[in-house]
Amino acid sequence: MTDQLTTDPTKPAQRMRAGSLTVPLIPWVLAAALLMVLPFIFTANSAITIMNQMAITIIFALAYNMLLGQGGMLSFGHAVYAGVGGFACVHIMNMDDFFAQIPLPLLPVFGGLMGMGLATIVGSFSTRKAGTVFAMISLGVGELIAACSVIIVAFFGGEEGISGDRTYGMPFFGVEFLQQIEVYYLIAAWLLISAALMYLYSRTPLGRMANAVRDNPERAEFLGYSARWVRFFSFVASGFFAGVAGALFAINYEILTEENLNTTQSGLILLATFLGGVGFFFGPILGAIVFTLVQTVLSLQTELWGFYLGIVFVVTVMFFPGGLAGLIMMHVPAMRLGKLGLLGMPYLKTLGSGAVGCLGAAALIEMTFHARHASAGDHEMTIYWTTFDTHSVVPWIIAIAVTLIGFGIARRTAPALAEAWGQANTPDGAMR
Amino acid sequence: MTAALQLDGLKKSFGKTEIIRGVDLSIGKGERHAIIGPNGAGKSTLFNLITGRFPQSEGHIRLHGEDLAGKAPFEINRMGLSRSFQITNIFPKMTVFENVRCSLLWSMGYRYNFWSMVGRSRALTEGTDEILDQINLTARRDLPAGVLSYAEQRALEIGITIAGGADVIMLDEPTAGMSHSETDYIVELIRTVTEGKTLVMVEHDMGVVFGLADQISVLVYGEIIATGTPEAVRANPKVQEAYLGEALEAH
Repeated sequence: MTDQLTTDPTKPAQRMRAGSLTVPLIPWVLAAALLMVLPFIFTANSAITIMNQMAITIIFALAYNMLLGQGGMLSFGHAVYAGVGGFACVHIMNMDDFFAQIPLPLLPVFGGLMGMGLATIVGSFSTRKAGTVFAMISLGVGELIAACSVIIVAFFGGEEGISGDRTYGMPFFGVEFLQQIEVYYLIAAWLLISAALMYLYSRTPLGRMANAVRDNPERAEFLGYSARWVRFFSFVASGFFAGVAGALFAINYEILTEENLNTTQSGLILLATFLGGVGFFFGPILGAIVFTLVQTVLSLQTELWGFYLGIVFVVTVMFFPGGLAGLIMMHVPAMRLGKLGLLGMPYLKTLGSGAVGCLGAAALIEMTFHARHASAGDHEMTIYWTTFDTHSVVPWIIAIAVTLIGFGIARRTAPALAEAWGQANTPDGAMR
Repeated sequence: MTAALQLDGLKKSFGKTEIIRGVDLSIGKGERHAIIGPNGAGKSTLFNLITGRFPQSEGHIRLHGEDLAGKAPFEINRMGLSRSFQITNIFPKMTVFENVRCSLLWSMGYRYNFWSMVGRSRALTEGTDEILDQINLTARRDLPAGVLSYAEQRALEIGITIAGGADVIMLDEPTAGMSHSETDYIVELIRTVTEGKTLVMVEHDMGVVFGLADQISVLVYGEIIATGTPEAVRANPKVQEAYLGEALEAH
């Protein structure tokens, strides 16, 4: 039935050419508009701080996904390229005469080139093989450069790091970047440019071959491409955008320390990227947004935010390897069939009760933590806007009951959800 | 005239075991050459040596007169030699269209280009669709290659192998595991797409070999015991003794 549409070889070609020009532009225009108006919706200073952090993380996560998702290279030390780019930019800020001649918005180019330069050196030997060898080398280099930060004090500034002042740069059309909001628009502009460039990169011959080498390096070699060179170029490009992210960090915070390039930071960007989903271009964007929210908002609510993040990460790896983006894209077939509505009620029942169960479990964890670690005699804690005594039995019974009932209902309603899922993904009448 | 492919005293050992024990072979331009032999004779190893997957232990391999020693698979491919694999080797997660397009990129001069969009090139899209048309997979164009039927995947692999415009095509058991009708289809496909090219293939199905090849070499225990036209090989007593007897009677 659909064969007739596609057997004419010229037709799909036209469809594709038209598609590559018009349709993909819409999300970019929307994103630009959103970035423009966001500071008018969230006007608080703290909100702008979070959005800046988010935008920087998005660039970094997208750069990281050029390796992990598109090139199939698992790096445990990618913070190094962002960090070194950032350090270089702080040094440029401190070179008074030179910095006075370049406008601040151009500074990320230098950060990018620095990250790219380092990636060229490291990539020349680390991209020979993919898989475990690459991962191990990335870890080793990451540790090595993090260790350098206390040895090469002139560049890394030792334990206290180095700081600069972004406002000494040449004014950019009168803007001196004294205010947070001006920095926001600088970062937002770089976010848009970097994301667009990284997206376009994935559509070039080299970007396509990066996918091919990821899927089947041997076959790619028998098609005339050296898998090693393809990996190397991806690595260098990723290093550039990581450096850009580092430079934006330097502009935003005006200080860089060892924490910006150590393996913890490398681990966090892997986590954020994977959480968002490595299989789709927009995955790391989602991941960076959610991750930054958890890091900034949830961390204000609880000391245990890292613990919850860890659980979410493990659950993602085990049950949703496609990440958030994968979860969203799973619904596309049902949407095409116009049957997404079938899932509404079952989702509400199962996921709603599951969420209640999670909240209950979180309360138990928090109460245990409080009971064990609060200072002696401090028996009072507040959770979910309720204050109670952790040493009385009633709150424990309530929390346990809520947890069990929540998960119990979720479990009971799961088969109905599975059935609804099956229905939503089956075309009417057709058994194919 | 230099041979398309020339092997001189080729040897390969894995540890102490000698798998290829001195092969001399000359395959002329435009020839359809089949390499046959019992299981474990070293046919696939011979293929892997020629295409640069393994380094040889001794001897020379020349493609159009040029020595291939020390060359990586991608370098050999750029010199005009392309191969398929005994076990289907494609990009299963990419669409059929992308599989073929990737195999066209190098030969169309894109190399490691990162400044032009693949979707914008009319020549690339049309070239890809032309190959898809040749291998009759136009209707499967936008499906992930991994969901195709076995025979379709084999056809796709042949498409990938010929797409880059190589003039020496090496096919490792192209009809392995296929039904009769599928085999007939693939043989016809190979005949058309390798028109005017040098074809080297390993094959077990004697029907395919005698139908397609104009030269046959028989490889037994790492040595070629006979080379010649199908008739000559069929009549060769050494071949009959070593291997062909039963297979020939059955045919």
